[in-house]
Amino acid sequence: MRKMWKGNHAIAEAAMRAGCQFYAGYPITPQTEVSEYLSYRMPELGRRFLQAENEMAAVYMIFGAYACGMRSMTSSSGPGFSLKQEGIAYLCANNYPAVLVNVQRWGPGLGTLDSSQTDYLRDTRGGGNGDYRVIVYAPNSIQETVDLMYNAFDVAEKYRNPVEILSEAALGQMMEPVEFPPFKERTEDLGWTFDGTDRPHGRIDNPQKPDALRAKVAAITANEQRWENYRVEDADYVFVAFGLPSRTCRNAVDQLREQGVKVGLIRPITVWPFPYKAFEEIPDTVKGVISVESTDAGQLIEDVALAVKKMCPGNVPVYGLFSGQKIPKTKEIVAFFGGVRSGETKEVF
Amino acid sequence: MEIVFAGFGGQGVLTAGLITAEMALENGKNVTWMPAYGPTMRGGKAYSVVKYADGIIGGPDMEEIDILVAMNEPSLEYAAYLKEGGLIIANTNNVSEDAPIDSKFRVIRIPCLTLAQKAQNPKAANIVAIGAMIKACGLFPEEQAKAVLRQIFVDKGKEKYTAMNEAAFMEGYQAV
Amino acid sequence: MAVLKKTPTMVSIPNHFCPGCGHGILNRLIAEVIEEKGYEKKTIMTLGVGCSCNMNASWNGDKIQCAHGRGAATATGVKIARPDLLSIAYQGDGDAYVIGLAETLNAAYRNEPITVFVINNNNFAMTGGQMSWTTMPGQVTTTSVHGRDPALTGMPIRVPEFAATFPDVAYVARGSVHSAKEINRLRGYVKNAIEAQLNGEGYALVEVLCQCPTNWGMSVEKSIKWMEEEVAPYYTLGELKGRRK
Repeated sequence: MRKMWKGNHAIAEAAMRAGCQFYAGYPITPQTEVSEYLSYRMPELGRRFLQAENEMAAVYMIFGAYACGMRSMTSSSGPGFSLKQEGIAYLCANNYPAVLVNVQRWGPGLGTLDSSQTDYLRDTRGGGNGDYRVIVYAPNSIQETVDLMYNAFDVAEKYRNPVEILSEAALGQMMEPVEFPPFKERTEDLGWTFDGTDRPHGRIDNPQKPDALRAKVAAITANEQRWENYRVEDADYVFVAFGLPSRTCRNAVDQLREQGVKVGLIRPITVWPFPYKAFEEIPDTVKGVISVESTDAGQLIEDVALAVKKMCPGNVPVYGLFSGQKIPKTKEIVAFFGGVRSGETKEVF
Repeated sequence: MEIVFAGFGGQGVLTAGLITAEMALENGKNVTWMPAYGPTMRGGKAYSVVKYADGIIGGPDMEEIDILVAMNEPSLEYAAYLKEGGLIIANTNNVSEDAPIDSKFRVIRIPCLTLAQKAQNPKAANIVAIGAMIKACGLFPEEQAKAVLRQIFVDKGKEKYTAMNEAAFMEGYQAV
Repeated sequence: MAVLKKTPTMVSIPNHFCPGCGHGILNRLIAEVIEEKGYEKKTIMTLGVGCSCNMNASWNGDKIQCAHGRGAATATGVKIARPDLLSIAYQGDGDAYVIGLAETLNAAYRNEPITVFVINNNNFAMTGGQMSWTTMPGQVTTTSVHGRDPALTGMPIRVPEFAATFPDVAYVARGSVHSAKEINRLRGYVKNAIEAQLNGEGYALVEVLCQCPTNWGMSVEKSIKWMEEEVAPYYTLGELKGRRK
C-alpha cells in the first residue's frame, strides 16, 4: 500500500530493504533525517548504526566494513560530502563497493540549506584526488529514490565501485506516496573480501591500474546508462534536466506542446555514466538543446554540450537555464524558452 | 491542485498540509507535500505546500497556488503566487479585517482559533481551516475527509483526540 | 632452560624498515601473540600511513591499507563487519596522534572493541623526519631545524594518558623497545591488548616508544641511549589502565 513518506526517511528505509547492515554518518541539514531514522530502525532490525565523530571517520568505517563484505552506507550533504571525498578516493583506489547518499544543499563553503544541484560536477567527476568515477543516480521522485536505492548495493558490488544517490534538499524534505519492495539480503560471499585468511583480494597493482580503470569505465558506460525521454522523437528543441528540475521541465514541455511547439525532455537518471544514448533519439532537425538545472553558473550543461557534440549533427546550440538556489518554476522555463526561440537568449555552447 | 498553508511556527501549518495530503492520497490522487524548512523558517515563518493531481506532479514547491490558507497576516505575501481567481482563507484571529487583499482573489474570512476554542480544541485552528477549505472548494467528500482525519490520529496513537479534532473540523466545515 | 623460538609466520617475510628501527620488534611481538592465540587466519590488520605502510610488503596476514589518520575508524568498521575476527590498527604517532587524533580519541571514547598499536618515534619518519606532536623539546627535525621550541609548538603530546581517562576503555599501556627488559614488558602489554579484544572487554591502546636512528641522525647505540635518558622519562612507561580482572 502506498503511504506518504519523507524523502530522507524513504531512502533510509529503502537501504534497509536492500540489505544494508551498517550505517555511519554525521549530522548535517538537510540529510539528518536519514541518520535519525536509521538510529532507531537499524537496532530494530538487528543492524548497526553508528554516529561518527566526523564525516571522514564515517566513510572509513564504511570502508573497513565493506572491505569485509558488509553492505554499508553513509550519507551527508554539501560540505560534509566534501569531507568524505578522501575516503571515497580510497574506496575507489581499492575497488571497494559502498553506497553513498548526498542530499545536496546550495553553494560552496557553508552555503545555505536551499535545494540545489550545485554538487553535480564534483560528484560526477570523482571529487577527490586521482582518476576515478562514482556511479551516480539522480532520482526525481521519492518512489524512484527508493527503487534506485534498492539496486544500489548490487550495482556497487558488481563493479566493485561506490554508487551514489544524488538527492536534493527538497527531495529529502518533501513527502510523496511510496511503495517499498520486500527485504532482501545478499548471503553469498563476494569472494574477494577480507576474512582474516589473507585470501586474494583482487587487488590491482601498478602498472595495470590505468588499464583496469579504463576497462571498468568502459563496462559501466556501456551497461549502466539510464534515462527517461519524453516527447523527444519529433522535437525542435530538447530540454535536459535531472532531479526535481526535470519535473517542472516536464510540465513546461506539456504547456509548450499545448501551444503547438515541438519540445521534448531528456532526463538523465544516471548522471555518471552520463546517458549519451538518450541523445540518439533527438531528430537531426533539432534547433537547440537547453540544460535546465539548479546551479548558479551551469554544471550539467557541460555534459549536455559534450553529448550534443557527439550525438547531434552540425553545430546545435546549447542553452542554459540556471536557477541557483531553487527549483526552476514551470513558467520560468516557458519564459526562458521564449527567449531561446526568439533568438534573444544566446547559447552557452 | 496547489494548496499553501502558511502561518507562524506553532500554528500547525505543516500538519495541516500533511492531513490534506493524506486526504488526497485516500482520494486516489498523486500527492506531494513540501515543508518550508531551514532558512525559510527563520523568524517563525512556516508554510507547507500540498499538490495533488491525477497525473504526474511537477516541482513540489510553490508555483501557481489555487488555495492559500493564511493563518497570519504575513502569510498574505504568498498571494503573489496565487492564481487569478484563487482562494484565500484568512484566519481573522491573526489577519486583520482591513488587511489589503487584491480584489482578483476570492476571500473567505473565518476566526479559526475562536472556532477551535468553541470545539474545546484550541490547538486545532489548523483543522478548522481544513474543514472550511474542503467545504468551500468541495475538495473531498465530508465522510471521507473525516475518516482520514480519524485514521491519522489513530496511527499516531492519539486516538483520544479524534473526537475533538472532528469537532474542530466540523466547526470549520459549517462556517462557510 | 633454553627455548628454541621459530619466527612467527606473520613476520616471516623480511621487512623494509631501516637498520636499527624498532618497528620490527613490535611486529614480531604482535605476531607471536597472534600465533599463540591461534589467530593467524583470523586477524585483520589495518595499516595507517607512515612507516607502517612498509608492512604492506612484509606483514604476512590480512591487512587493509587506509588513509593517514583513519586507522581507528577503519578498524572500527572491520570489527563491526567481522566481530569474530581480531581487528588491529597499526599506526605511527603522526598518523594516530596528529592528523588522526580525532579518530583515535573518539574510538577510545566510544570504547570500540579494537586494539590500537601506535609506534611513537618522536617524528614523521616516512616523510623524512618532520616534527610531530611527540617530538621532544629541543629535538632537531626537518621542520624544527633549531630544535623544537615548546613555547611555539607545544609540549609533546601524551595521548594514552588521556585515553585512559575514558571510563569504559579496557586497556592502555605504554611500552618501549629500547632494552630487552622493556621488550619483555612490552610483550605483556601486547598480549593484554589483544586478549582484551578477544575477551570482549573493549578498546585497547598500546603506545610503543621506538628509536628512529635514520631520522634522528644518530647511531643505533646513541639513539637507544637517547631514548633511555630523554624520551622514556617524559613518556611514563607501564600500564596506564589495567584490565578489569
